[in-house]
Amino acid sequence: MTDDKDVLRDVWFGRIPTCFTLYQDEITEREADPYYLLLPRVSYLTLVTDKVKKHFQKVMKQEEVSEIWFEYEGTPLKWHYPIGLLFDLHASNTALPWSITVHFKKVVELLFFLKHFHCNLFLVSRVRERLLRSANFPEKDLLHCHSKDVIEAHFMACIKEADALKHKSQVINEMQKKDHKQLWMGLQNDKFEQFWAINRKLMEYPPEDNGFRYIPFRIYQATTERPFIQKLFRPIASGGQLHTLGDLLKDVCPSAITPEDGEQKTQVMIHGIEPMLETPIQWLSEHMSYPDNFLHISIIPRPTD
Amino acid sequence: MGGGDGRCGPMSDGGRALCDTLFPAVDVLLKAVGDTPIMRTKKWAVERTRTIQGLVDFIKKFLKLMASEQLFIYVNQSFAPSPDQEVGTLYECFGSDGKLVLHYCKTQAWG
Repeated sequence: MTDDKDVLRDVWFGRIPTCFTLYQDEITEREADPYYLLLPRVSYLTLVTDKVKKHFQKVMKQEEVSEIWFEYEGTPLKWHYPIGLLFDLHASNTALPWSITVHFKKVVELLFFLKHFHCNLFLVSRVRERLLRSANFPEKDLLHCHSKDVIEAHFMACIKEADALKHKSQVINEMQKKDHKQLWMGLQNDKFEQFWAINRKLMEYPPEDNGFRYIPFRIYQATTERPFIQKLFRPIASGGQLHTLGDLLKDVCPSAITPEDGEQKTQVMIHGIEPMLETPIQWLSEHMSYPDNFLHISIIPRPTD
Repeated sequence: MGGGDGRCGPMSDGGRALCDTLFPAVDVLLKAVGDTPIMRTKKWAVERTRTIQGLVDFIKKFLKLMASEQLFIYVNQSFAPSPDQEVGTLYECFGSDGKLVLHYCKTQAWG
């Protein structure tokens, strides 16, 4: 069991070296240096980037500052997905540090351009159109995050959904409000012990069962239209055998493990590693879930080097 | 490509993919909480890919609520799904007796 507890710590303390750069079209009074930060894999972008905000706000006029959002190679990054999932899904086999572009600026006034560039009306409208496209908050891709309360509400909703699957919500509902708060505070303040003092209860199951009722999991593929696959899946077969990661994939996403032309074209990644397909899914759920109690699994193209 | 991602696929994928194409909509039962206005029509056939946000916008329009008014949706009277969650996924995981029951409320009911 000592080894298994080590896994919990390794998952919690996983970090991704990241370089934040201000979007190049954002006109500022002075050049902004990029900002380097180690991001916790298990947390959320808007929870851990206050320092990034402060850094770039220094080179902007207060009235131009608008809701911050992040993008990687043109893809808006969903703040409500855990950071580790975003990295595994979009940038897993690329060179570190992870280069994220920061968007911050309200759309520049038309007047500004008329005044400073003496462009003809046609050109001005083209530039404004381009600015509108590039600087505007991508409503279709991202949720708004106006305060930390929004992150807390989202985090707690995920935990509740996970417990609905694992325990018919019995364990989460039996907890007091202060226990719920402790889960959130543990995540927010990066306090492993504080978090797991409560979370361990969500990882228990009745002695007569051999696992949870259903496993909370989501499978993501950058290449499909669907946001993710989530279905009911029991950790124990009717005969009592433990279902494995391979069994899960075979059932809900067989293309992930079916070789094409005899080659395995994809990787199955959780927290930056490829767990063996023989791993019991119950064990994975207890030890490699994110703090939101979900197993977030990325199916990504295998690098061809 | 198969495996329950909603597209056509062979029956050997456990029948899930075929199911998705045969039954593109799911039955949703909307229940009002507290003194939130009750919808005259409670049972709706909703496309699997419609999001919770899409459902919220629809209910607001139907109840003639203002766009700025808040509306909370709950599954199993226990959690509020994310606005970008798909109804189809919620139905698969939390539906019973062939329908997904969703409670809606103008104020926060189950946190």
